[in-house]
Amino acid sequence: MSDSTKSISPPPRVLVTKIGLDGHDRGSRIVAAYLRDAGMEVIYTAPWQKIEAVVKLAVEEDVDVIGVSSLATDHLLLPDLMAALGEAGFGHVKVVAGGIIPDGDEAELLRAGVSRVFHPGSPREDIVATVGDLATQARAACANG
Amino acid sequence: MTDRSAAAPASGKLLERLLDGEPAALAKAITLVENAGAQAAQVLAGIQSRLGHALVIGVTGPPGAGKSTLVSALVGELRRRGKSLGILAVDPSSPLSGGAILGDRIRMAEHACDPEVFVRSLATRGHVGGLSSAAARVVDLMDAAGKDVVIVETVGAGQSDVEVAQLVDVTVVVCAPGLGDEIQAIKAGILEIADVLVVNKADLPNAERTMAQLEGMLSLRDPGAAGVPVIATTATEGRGVAELSDAVEARAEALGGSVRAARTLAQIRLQIADSAAELLRRRLNDSDDEGLHALCRSVQRGELDLENAARRYLSDYLVNKA
Amino acid sequence: MSEQPVQLPLPGFESARAEWRRDYDGQAGQDGILRNRSGIEIKPLYTCEDWGEERYMEDLSFPGQLPMTRGIYPSMHRGRTWTQRQLVGFGTPEDYNHRLKTILAAGGTAGSLIPCNSVYRGYDCDEVELPLLGTCGAVVNTVDDMDLCYRDIGVGELSTAVNDPLPFTLLALLLAVAKRRDVPWSRITGTSNQSDYISHFVANHMFFRIALPGSRRVLVDHVEFCQTHLPGWNPISVVGQHMQQGGATPAEAMALTLCTAIQYAEDCRTRGMDPDVFLPRFTFFFDISISFFEEIAKLRAGRRLWQRIVRERFGAKNPKAWRFKFHAQTSGVDLTRQQPLNNVARVAVQAIAGIFGGLQSLHTDAYDEVLSVPTEEAARIAIVPTEEAARIAIATQNILREEAHLTDVIDPLAGSYYLETLTNRMEEEIEATIARIDAAGGMFAAAEAGLPQDMIGKSARVFQEKVDSGQETIVGVNKYREAEEPTTAPRPLERPDQSAMEAHLARFRAFKAERSQAAVTAALDILARAANAAPGTPGQNVYEKVVEAAMAGVTHGELCACLRRELGFGQPLVMP
Repeated sequence: MSDSTKSISPPPRVLVTKIGLDGHDRGSRIVAAYLRDAGMEVIYTAPWQKIEAVVKLAVEEDVDVIGVSSLATDHLLLPDLMAALGEAGFGHVKVVAGGIIPDGDEAELLRAGVSRVFHPGSPREDIVATVGDLATQARAACANG
Repeated sequence: MTDRSAAAPASGKLLERLLDGEPAALAKAITLVENAGAQAAQVLAGIQSRLGHALVIGVTGPPGAGKSTLVSALVGELRRRGKSLGILAVDPSSPLSGGAILGDRIRMAEHACDPEVFVRSLATRGHVGGLSSAAARVVDLMDAAGKDVVIVETVGAGQSDVEVAQLVDVTVVVCAPGLGDEIQAIKAGILEIADVLVVNKADLPNAERTMAQLEGMLSLRDPGAAGVPVIATTATEGRGVAELSDAVEARAEALGGSVRAARTLAQIRLQIADSAAELLRRRLNDSDDEGLHALCRSVQRGELDLENAARRYLSDYLVNKA
Repeated sequence: MSEQPVQLPLPGFESARAEWRRDYDGQAGQDGILRNRSGIEIKPLYTCEDWGEERYMEDLSFPGQLPMTRGIYPSMHRGRTWTQRQLVGFGTPEDYNHRLKTILAAGGTAGSLIPCNSVYRGYDCDEVELPLLGTCGAVVNTVDDMDLCYRDIGVGELSTAVNDPLPFTLLALLLAVAKRRDVPWSRITGTSNQSDYISHFVANHMFFRIALPGSRRVLVDHVEFCQTHLPGWNPISVVGQHMQQGGATPAEAMALTLCTAIQYAEDCRTRGMDPDVFLPRFTFFFDISISFFEEIAKLRAGRRLWQRIVRERFGAKNPKAWRFKFHAQTSGVDLTRQQPLNNVARVAVQAIAGIFGGLQSLHTDAYDEVLSVPTEEAARIAIVPTEEAARIAIATQNILREEAHLTDVIDPLAGSYYLETLTNRMEEEIEATIARIDAAGGMFAAAEAGLPQDMIGKSARVFQEKVDSGQETIVGVNKYREAEEPTTAPRPLERPDQSAMEAHLARFRAFKAERSQAAVTAALDILARAANAAPGTPGQNVYEKVVEAAMAGVTHGELCACLRRELGFGQPLVMP
């Protein structure tokens, strides 16, 4: 804590969700709790969200970062999500993915605009710091855009 | 400073898009209001003439009563009746981290792709008595964006419910059978604010007993409470939800237009006080004034008490520099 | 048993204890106490002070005899080995048929059918995104699809564990194929894996979900139908694996599984079925973590509790009803992406625990297929094991049995001061959780209220915090890391042949166009009517109508859609 008597800026708003067909949520629940405990506001959804629902939600909740957990190939839909966010004028929102994502697919996701892919064993501090940084970037991009 | 000069045209455009009902503009405007950004005041001023269209419903009750599921079912029913909706779901922030998990959408899945249903989750962010002012402004924004019905959903926690009740037209208090202690809590706090009472999970045993208990308690309330209906619902199966919608609409009709339009001067004075307090709190927090830092240090050293520090701040620093 | 009772305290015991306390106490845990995953205190040494032979008959007795601690059969693995059941499912029905034939050619007699996630979620192949089809299991929607799965294979000739959640459409399609081929249903054998809808609601949100009350009714209808028509079929498999993979401690997972089984048994009895008839068809499915002694104790304690539960709560007189039959799978949650070959050692340790725990059937994970994910789904080839890794998984079982001679002696760890003490302590811990669920009105009511969900979520976080803080070591992840992190080879997902999948879609559309629409409409009307009749109404068994509809050409997705409409759709009941 610094000696300043000022409070922190508005908390980052992060959507933690799952797209596609898989419903395993142990990871997404833990990550949601990590982010909350780091002072972020986490919008948490049921699994199996449709792409259009994720976009609508990101718009309405005005989130800075979207975290998508994928354990059973649902990450194959992430390029569709990136495209849909762009079409909705929400290209400034940063997207991260986590779960079981083979290295060969990771490169494909990064090319599609996903900011970062986390794997089993990714340290908590890394996840929290990365999401925080991305939220700051998203806000700056939004203000400039 | 550059920010501020850019703000005016930007907020003007935002206001236009908001009044057109564009979801992204409504969302951004809510963020501005929540964060009390510089543009917020301009946007709020710009919507004043467009308020009063929406019917505003508050839904509250103890945890576990099934509020979110009931709201989702109610939304389904109102959609069938052709209404567009704005939903404001309020959840508590963690007092330790300041973070929050906003999970009300879990039970709203069936409306996830409906463009006529706009959902916004709001964390309390440690507001003390300020929740109603933030929530009231978000309700106004949804109203100005053209929503026919705005639903405010809060966790049943006593004082904040009473505050929310002041900003809605119809307050629906939800409880579930068999939660003996919670019935007591309702009696102690939020029963007084109910315009419509709901016993959800009416398929459970004890539902009838709970209904009878609540009707008994209502009879002890002031005479005006005689007309408060008690409705049984099973939200998971949609039972009783049409009756609930009817009761809410009948209540709104009986009020003859918006309650918010008929606020008393005393209520408005309270709301101005809330807003002023909130402004002051933010200004203090955001201030880099060296005199303020000096005041803080004086209190820390025990040279000055809090009450007098506050008074000195108001007279010396705030008034002079306002 | 010794002739002379041991004198306690033992001579020299106090001075020995003082020594080890000085050396070891206060080494672990925030409170200075070392605890296992279930929260039970683990002391540095166990002696006859903790467990003595005077308890032998009460705690252990003999294999196949009450209280069943030492195993459910008199000769256990010495008499017959466990079933080696590896999961199969990928791509189109032809792909599945090809893989099944490979397994049968290698001498296998037990099959499994793992469907695609789209099937789990209650959809036909024309209702979901094409890239997701067949990536995690076989796409099976129609009686023709099922026929293809079993091309050149007799449906009555092998026992199949079908991963077939409620409303059991895959079994219905299998029965329709049997009818088509004139195979009597009495010859159909296997298990409805994933019939445990409560575990889906509280721990594993993978599956198609009819809202809880409707699920409850359809499961009982299913058991009733199987009792009448399918004498060789196990209609219920209670899945502790979901709870443990979701984060429950081993003791919690066992307790919640037993509570779920109690709920199903009560629901069947309420319908008027005889526990001595339906209980012998109950089977269980557990996760084996790497917490070695804890897992052995969990399984032994569970076996002892089940016989007591069925006798005390259900008055079961049939000894077959007392048997706690279970399949077990090594836990993918313990496997790591970092230094993947380490997983070979982990799987071996997990498998030994399962064997010493007295399992009836075992799946060992391949070291590169499941990486810290819920195993049974990832084994559905989210990342396809290399041929070598799959071979090592099977070889591990063979090595443990035939080279290490683990099966020569029945329940070989019995009488260990530590293991018997731990088994008793785990039993107490499990009973305490059962009491909590009982107090909440049983598993169904508890699941509706979110109680097990909260328990599981809390335990998952507590364990993760121990990993984050380094209190629990995971080699290669939070300790003994290498500067250069070798992970799995950068293989992309194995994806089904897209043109074959498109051809399958075309064939599916043709099937729907060519069948008798009148028969389909009539069958769905009958199903809807049954769903709206009161549970137990004679002639209105929902599952019987599902089977009849499958025979009339109704597809998997249409059956699910009908019941979703009539019985309501169940939302997840879980918060972080």
